[in-house]
Amino acid sequence: MRPVSNIAIASVTVVALCSGAFLLHSGAETNAPPQPSAAQAAAPGAGDRRPAAPALPHSPPERIRIPSIRVDAPLMGLSLTPQGSLDVPPAEQKNLAGWYEAGTTPGERGTAIVAGHVDNSEGPAVFYDLGSLKKGSVIEVARRDGGTAVFTVDSVEVYDARDFPDDKVYGAAQRAELRVITCGGGYSKATGYQGNVVVFAHLTGSRAA
Amino acid sequence: MRRTARMLTGTALAVAAAGLATAPAYGGETGRLEVFPSTVVPGAGVTVNTAACGAAAAAAGDASAVGAGTFPLAPSAHENDAIGQFRVPPSAQPGTYEIVAQCAGGKQVTGDLMVTLTSTREQVQPRGLVKTGVGGALGTDPVQTAAGVAALAVAAAGGTWLLHRRARGDGI
Repeated sequence: MRPVSNIAIASVTVVALCSGAFLLHSGAETNAPPQPSAAQAAAPGAGDRRPAAPALPHSPPERIRIPSIRVDAPLMGLSLTPQGSLDVPPAEQKNLAGWYEAGTTPGERGTAIVAGHVDNSEGPAVFYDLGSLKKGSVIEVARRDGGTAVFTVDSVEVYDARDFPDDKVYGAAQRAELRVITCGGGYSKATGYQGNVVVFAHLTGSRAA
Repeated sequence: MRRTARMLTGTALAVAAAGLATAPAYGGETGRLEVFPSTVVPGAGVTVNTAACGAAAAAAGDASAVGAGTFPLAPSAHENDAIGQFRVPPSAQPGTYEIVAQCAGGKQVTGDLMVTLTSTREQVQPRGLVKTGVGGALGTDPVQTAAGVAALAVAAAGGTWLLHRRARGDGI
């Protein structure tokens, strides 16, 4: 019987060595979600100057669409946790976001709040790319009344847990505003994400049913 | 004398007050206009209903105090209950306004509507961080890592085989 040639064994060994090294290296790469740059932070007088559209009547939201980061997800109602923070949608569902049901509905006068996961244990989730939004990006919310509220991004900020500006993020507004929130900032294995990416937007238009 | 008169007046007032206080227990369900929500922001819709109009259950509503004009109340799904709706104009100023409904039979009922600039529903606002990530997009991919380890094991086996052959003098 002709033995397997040394060259064949050597070739297989070299290929296995290279692919093994490649797999281990790329598998260990960190795929951190994009974070907003300082240029997207709110600057006095330098925000989006598009005029605010007149507020819409009360109507619960059904879907959120952010074309520039290919988000198109249903919205579920969220309440508060016993600690007073906003609850979150179930983590298993990658393409699901939520809105604060006891608050303002998106398009109505006031501050409407939408939150979704940046990732779950499987990988990226609905708002993975939220931190890459820019001033002027468009966010659309489809409402139960059949209409669509169109928001324009004013700024994209990242806040640390220790210094979270509750009033700025959640406080009342005199026009129709929207906040879209996900996890962000630094990450540590022990504490998870250490902050939130918060997108500030205001109503700039609407489409009827 | 004056003192007696004052006491009498006081007694009369007390009796009247007691009468007023007990009145709702008897007629509260039929004698007023219910306004829901009773506190709204400008631009919001308001629903009013009353059982004061009896079986006809129809009335003419008047919300002109808050700038919303007149509106009709029609029979609702509940017996003897008239219901109507109007919208507070976006230009409405904060304050308390009297909403009036006059039954087809002539009886008039009123209810209060308070307009505020900040939605009361917003007063319980969330605070702090939203827990929306576990880091699953970070770190190693277990499938890829396992494949890499397997490939390295194959490479190690191949290398060992070659070394054995060389040791046996099979030629390399």
